[in-house]
Amino acid sequence: MIAVIPVRDGVLPAGSDEAIAECAGRALVVGSGTATTDLVGRVDDVVLVELGPVAFGRWAAALVADVAELTDADVIVCPNSPDGRDLAPRLAAALGRPLLAGATRITAAAVQLARAGGRELHEVAPDGPFVATLQPGVRDSESFPPTPVTRTVESRGDTDTGDATVVEVLPPDVRTMDLAEAARIVGGGAGLDSEQRFEQLDAFAAGIGATMGATRVVTDRAWVHHDKQIGTTGVVVDPDLYLAFGISGAVQHTAGLGDPDHVISVNLDPHCPMMTMADLAIVSDANETLDELVHLLGETDFDGVADA
Amino acid sequence: MPDPDVDVVVVGAGPAGAAAATVLARAGHSVILLERGPFAGSKNMYGGVVYPRILDQLHPQWWEDAPVQRWITRRSTMVLTDDQALTVDFRSERWGRPPFNGATAYRPDWDHWLAAKAQADGATLVCSTTATGLLREGGQVVGVTTDRPDGDLRAHVVIACDGVNSFLAKEAGMYGEVDAANYTVGVKETIALPKDVIDARFGVRGREGQDIEILGGTGGVNGGAFVYTNLDTLAVGCVLKLPKLSAQALRPEEIIDGLKRHPAIRPLVEDGEVKEYSAHVIPEAGLSMMPQMTGDGMLVAGDAAAMCLAAGIWLEGVNFAMASGMYAGEAAVEALAAGDASAAGLAGYERRLRDTFVLRDHRKLRRAPELVLSDRVQHLYPEMIANTVERMFRVDNPAPKPGLRRIFSDERRRAGVTLRDLARDALDGLRSFG
Amino acid sequence: MKLTVCWKWVTVDGGEPDDRWAGVSPADEAALETALTVAAADDEVVVVSAGPPGAVAALRRALAAGATRAVRIDTDGAASRDVATAVAAIAAGSDYVLCGDYSLDRGTGSVPAFLAADLGAAQALGLVSVDVTRRPVRVVRRLDGGRREVLDVPAPAVLSVEGSVARLRRASLAASLASNSAPVDVVGGPPRSEQVAVVTAYRPRARSLPAPAGGTLTRVRDILDIGGEPVHSESVTLDPPAAARRIVDQLRDWGHLPA
Ligand SMILES: Cc1cc2nc3c(=O)[nH]c(=O)nc-3n(C[C@H](O)[C@H](O)[C@H](O)COP(=O)(O)OP(=O)(O)OC[C@H]3O[C@@H](n4cnc5c(N)ncnc54)[C@H](O)[C@@H]3O)c2cc1C
Ligand SMILES: Cc1cc2nc3c(=O)[nH]c(=O)nc-3n(C[C@H](O)[C@H](O)[C@H](O)COP(=O)(O)OP(=O)(O)OC[C@H]3O[C@@H](n4cnc5c(N)ncnc54)[C@H](O)[C@@H]3O)c2cc1C
Ligand SMILES: Nc1ncnc2c1ncn2[C@@H]1O[C@H](COP(=O)(O)O)[C@@H](O)[C@H]1O
Repeated sequence: MIAVIPVRDGVLPAGSDEAIAECAGRALVVGSGTATTDLVGRVDDVVLVELGPVAFGRWAAALVADVAELTDADVIVCPNSPDGRDLAPRLAAALGRPLLAGATRITAAAVQLARAGGRELHEVAPDGPFVATLQPGVRDSESFPPTPVTRTVESRGDTDTGDATVVEVLPPDVRTMDLAEAARIVGGGAGLDSEQRFEQLDAFAAGIGATMGATRVVTDRAWVHHDKQIGTTGVVVDPDLYLAFGISGAVQHTAGLGDPDHVISVNLDPHCPMMTMADLAIVSDANETLDELVHLLGETDFDGVADA
Repeated sequence: MPDPDVDVVVVGAGPAGAAAATVLARAGHSVILLERGPFAGSKNMYGGVVYPRILDQLHPQWWEDAPVQRWITRRSTMVLTDDQALTVDFRSERWGRPPFNGATAYRPDWDHWLAAKAQADGATLVCSTTATGLLREGGQVVGVTTDRPDGDLRAHVVIACDGVNSFLAKEAGMYGEVDAANYTVGVKETIALPKDVIDARFGVRGREGQDIEILGGTGGVNGGAFVYTNLDTLAVGCVLKLPKLSAQALRPEEIIDGLKRHPAIRPLVEDGEVKEYSAHVIPEAGLSMMPQMTGDGMLVAGDAAAMCLAAGIWLEGVNFAMASGMYAGEAAVEALAAGDASAAGLAGYERRLRDTFVLRDHRKLRRAPELVLSDRVQHLYPEMIANTVERMFRVDNPAPKPGLRRIFSDERRRAGVTLRDLARDALDGLRSFG
Repeated sequence: MKLTVCWKWVTVDGGEPDDRWAGVSPADEAALETALTVAAADDEVVVVSAGPPGAVAALRRALAAGATRAVRIDTDGAASRDVATAVAAIAAGSDYVLCGDYSLDRGTGSVPAFLAADLGAAQALGLVSVDVTRRPVRVVRRLDGGRREVLDVPAPAVLSVEGSVARLRRASLAASLASNSAPVDVVGGPPRSEQVAVVTAYRPRARSLPAPAGGTLTRVRDILDIGGEPVHSESVTLDPPAAARRIVDQLRDWGHLPA
């Protein structure tokens, strides 16, 4: 098994450490600025492949043509970050192997996949070499010896495959930062029944000195701007307190949640993952509970909220 | 006058609209059936029992493919006080075979099925489209406007089957003043339980089902309650008088909770998982609130015309909707054949309603809602009856058994019911139900 | 110019496979709207769905909204790879192929990438905005950690968009009516894939905890969790007013609200 980690200017994507740990420390670090990537203690045995700026078609062609480590490994694991998600199918296509995307556990003999919006786990037994992507946030990383075995492979990587060209990379914007740095977050999911609920949720959040976030289902409906989407394809946050209203707790959401000290979840389904991971799980209607909370905060006279 | 786009526009793909569209399509007319929901039945809720015999005329052998949950073979009426219950329970094997009597069904299934039949006969169903107003020329209705771009639709006849509080009938000026006292609110929970648990708790098998209508159990608010069996869910709900409900400051869901905790109901529903909660307004006053049903170029059918027979605790609306829709369709066919879509040309509609169960049942039961929802029936009689029966069956040795007549007059006095009121109510009851 | 839009017809909530409980994702709708915005009057906009006959109703909705042709690839339960190959045969020659960023059931976002491989096209996937007034098309793609990248995408290209990128226009009444009987081409498709999966409810993977370090006393303390904050893990069923009071009390307890 080998992890294939796409980097930009040597910056590792989300879920790299986990993908490398799943492959017991073997990795190919591919992309631009590979030599500058901080790999100390994160990998045991690594091959650096300098390929230049992101271009998934060209990258896949070059890797398959020139990198023996890649073609030799039975199992190739990419992190399911945006770049990993987009590179893996190109590798699978170029290698003529099946792709098992969105896995939560990968071994050569069995792969567990998160499906149906994270509500189901599908376990499959591959019958040959394959490419997989590992969902960030599903396992711990491991520490490896500080001086990994490092080799560098030259790759032509110059085939013209008509890829898109990067104009610029934008840093997280302030609205996103706001959420990423918030110590308290109130999140709303599909259990909240209207766009107006999110105005209410925002007001409630402000009332307790928190920032509002939402799930993908909600941002897809454009009820809330996508800068407020918490999760692997949204903002990765790390609050002390997380309050979840009507959120099922799909892995793509919780993987972006960091490790809050305190979690409260309000949901009608006592068995969903968000309730299982909550310190206080309240089975109740999230909409009406929100009404009551707004009402309660309105009449309670807090002298400002506690410092975060 | 420009040519219309279609012969008839039917607004609302509920039971009334689907029936109207079927009749018209079969007669070879072009019909558009407009539905605001994403599919027929998607937004529609009701208690859960339909009496489909009227379909014998429209869809013979309808039971062969009707999306029925259970056939009602057991029908019970329950009187509840806080801690007593008196049940009259009837069951008949005959209702479990063709031509059947009542059935439980889900509206998204039932309405979808009926609308699909209309489509199969040639009607055009257009979903996710709301009629937003009437097109008029002179006094004549000549079509509807919709919420789609370029959404005007011209027709010889518009049949409004848009349900309770019909926006179209109001816009046409067919309704008089609307009085909140004429409405009740229906609330319902759908509770999931395994089929074998339902079979055992309700003493039914296979496709058999039970329908329980309840007087009392509504937390002091005038109304009634019901428990119906589907295959693997129960419908538990109540129908509540609006003015009383607002006066009592109780929320409908609290009333359902109270009902579910009643010692007679709890064993039926406990451990079930609530799947769905819904609420809807029901026109209750029957005849006295029916609008004008025919206008120039327009007919009103089903709940839109207050056709739901709501005699307090028992509700028949789907059958009245299907029948009135069917008759509206027939009348429109006549009018189109005669080339006269004026109110006079459409007069066949009201004649059919008068000649059939639709208006006859309403006339017969016109006093029933008031009687059943009256304070005496709601608050005095249940205690009185339950206490009478309790004393009747109580063995109070060494005291000897008192006679029934004695007990009853004791209890009547204790409840504060005068003989005169009792006699009057009995007479009303006899006129309605006798 | 030819544009191809991929619509995946998905049954929601495991309901019966008929059009009542099924549909396409907001992302797929956004893909069609984007294509319709890009398309000039005489451009061809083909909508493709690889799925069972039920998908026809959705395809007709796409025609009503303005797509010029609809194709159903007759298949049910085929693997992403095979779906992409079948779609590519129809999309061949397109300047742009527009997809949703991921489907509601499988949800891997791999079909668009496979399509790009099959078509030898550029790919720009997981987009949060698409500027169709520029040539080449300029898009913003979501990266991790809240970063974005701005890309210029030359044709031919496969673009996959998030649901909030655009909202599908409402079809006119005439178009809706016409679409009821609009023709949908059907072509043969790949067989159901053989991959058998054992399906269970999602549960987070167990995590390995580091072995407790330090002397015996600290280790016992760690294991028993004495001294540190007590671990609450409580599940309660409450009515909304009680739930709200409980939340406020708990927040006070934890020090997030003043006592
Ligand atoms: C490639 C990919 C990337 C993704 N990225 C992200 C991401 O970054 N962030 C993200 O959030 N998601 C992401 N998702 C989507 C994710 O898989 C889930 O679909 C999503 O997180 C679910 O959102 P939800 O919990 O709001 O909705 P649902 O899963 O539909 O859950 C709604 C919850 O509300 C409860 N509920 C319903 N009614 C009520 C009520 N009245 N009161 C209380 N509770 C109620 C239900 O019991 C349920 O638990 C991604 C998916 C894929 C495939
Ligand atoms: C709580 C409750 C319990 C009931 N229990 C029973 C029972 O057990 N048995 C029984 O027989 N009856 C029962 N009824 C009554 C029954 O539901 C109605 O009488 C029946 O549904 C009436 O049918 P309809 O076709 O007239 O109207 P509806 O079923 O209300 O259909 C109207 C249709 O029109 C559509 N519509 C509305 N406005 C527009 C518009 N502007 N443009 C386009 N479309 C529009 C709606 O979406 C809907 O599909 C109950 C009702 C309630 C509320
Ligand atoms: N069976 C299919 N038919 C048509 N388009 C599809 C199909 N499956 C996936 N797609 C497209 O690919 C996108 C991503 O799907 P997926 O790769 O399954 O996550 C969807 O939003 C669709 O646009």
